[in-house]
Amino acid sequence: MTIRPYVTSFVLQWKIGLRYRLAVLAGLVAQMWFGAISLMAYAAVYHHAPDVNAPMTLRQAMTYTWIQQSFFTLLPLGCLPAIGEAAKSGAIVYDLLRPVDLWNWWLSASLARLLGNAVPRALLLALVAGPLAALVGLNGWSLAPPASFEAALLALVSFILGAFISASIVMWWNIVAARTLSPLGTYAVGTPLAVLLSGMLLPLPLYPDWARDLLLLQPFAGISDIPIRLYMGMPIPGGVVTALGIQCFWLLALTMIGRFWMNRTISRMELQGA
Amino acid sequence: MNAFTLYRRMAGASIKAQLRYPGTFALQLVGNFVTTLLSFFGIWSLFHRFGSIAGWDIGAVAVLYGLVNVSFSVAETLGRGFDVFGSEYVKTGSFDRLLLRPRSTLVLLLGHELRLRPIGRFLQGAFVLGAGFWLSPHVSWNTVWLLPWAVTGGAVMFLGILIGQAALCFITVEGLEVVNVLTYGGVEAGQYPLTMFARWLRRFLTWALPLSAVCYYPALAMLNHPDPLGMPLWFGLLSPAMGFVFLALMVLWWRRGVAGYVSSGS
Repeated sequence: MTIRPYVTSFVLQWKIGLRYRLAVLAGLVAQMWFGAISLMAYAAVYHHAPDVNAPMTLRQAMTYTWIQQSFFTLLPLGCLPAIGEAAKSGAIVYDLLRPVDLWNWWLSASLARLLGNAVPRALLLALVAGPLAALVGLNGWSLAPPASFEAALLALVSFILGAFISASIVMWWNIVAARTLSPLGTYAVGTPLAVLLSGMLLPLPLYPDWARDLLLLQPFAGISDIPIRLYMGMPIPGGVVTALGIQCFWLLALTMIGRFWMNRTISRMELQGA
Repeated sequence: MNAFTLYRRMAGASIKAQLRYPGTFALQLVGNFVTTLLSFFGIWSLFHRFGSIAGWDIGAVAVLYGLVNVSFSVAETLGRGFDVFGSEYVKTGSFDRLLLRPRSTLVLLLGHELRLRPIGRFLQGAFVLGAGFWLSPHVSWNTVWLLPWAVTGGAVMFLGILIGQAALCFITVEGLEVVNVLTYGGVEAGQYPLTMFARWLRRFLTWALPLSAVCYYPALAMLNHPDPLGMPLWFGLLSPAMGFVFLALMVLWWRRGVAGYVSSGS
């Protein structure tokens, strides 16, 4: 077995992601806008209730929001568009005929698509929300630096695991698209799930106490919530080991069950227009 | 055949088309309902932890939230053609065909699709709105006529954004994700009380994009809640008209765009 075809598949999708520079800028403006609205809301809420003992400080909530906004395109919002279209048109048959491991083939494309979209945006937004915001005197609203050098390293490892978890969830959406013969349903269900469960809508630590542990244990928390907590040095029940453990567990579980489900799906698939 | 009959036929055909893939349709409807319900769960969690949102009780915020979502869902249902205008009409050149037809381009694009999916958002918004009124102590009698007036103003304003966004495609060819700042971002901003934003943003949301004029001020009038920033209550009775003014400006801009249109395709 050789790794080359998967690398090719990765590079192709990565280049597509980098193609649309204007889209990157447009996305940046949108992310800044949504970020600013959330920050003003949190600031108003925190200042109005100074004696509430919240699980994270206002400064932490702001940093959390900025990182979430910069990694918005890393979330598994739906299936890979190319696969969804192929499922609709019947062109998916070409993918089935390739002498490669289908899971790895699609996974490398999905991962490249997520990273190609997210990395340039994240770097730009981090620059704008971090040093630049501090320079123009918006220090209280800016993205805080990592808690320590170790925290930064741990967060980096955790972000990489998170990207793989996200790509594995995209694989599940790909399978759903192949079954329902249309990509639209996966966007309709995937986007709200990802936005809520990853902590994009509201930082996961701020949800009611009874929901917090449950929210930490579901797979979407591994994409960006756990890496951000490590970055800020926030305490996680059980420490670093649990944090990375949850991520590894979900990566394995999603891969194994997903592979099994994919093989069942393609063995009984009826092709449209083929 | 007049424009209205024509529109009715196009809408009928579009509804039939959407029901062709029942599995996908059901998923989309459920997804739409759940998305909006979950986003209210986020706001509710903030209340749960902090007691209030900057001094506003949950009834008032629920009314704001319901109002903006109901208005937006109506515009989303009608204005799908403008939403996809860049990628499906300008980039492909098929707008040329619309120009050959002896009808207003606006009517033809409204007929592109009568989208059923936003029903999920509509129902959920209406439900939260009802709960908000039930939780609020001083709901005024004006609500009876003010509610449909505010929803119409809001729907018309969001439709104006969609038309303005489509007119922008005459310049940019492809639709830009950045205009979502005004649609989805508008919904996001509209569900919070105006007072919690910085002054520049408050001015923008009242006088440039009249979002607070169709949402925040009418809601204050319905709830008999004095404005902490000192705007008199009667302003909310008249302000939804600003949604219509906004739409009119966007239609003028659209006309200019159509007059200067140069085809990109065959």
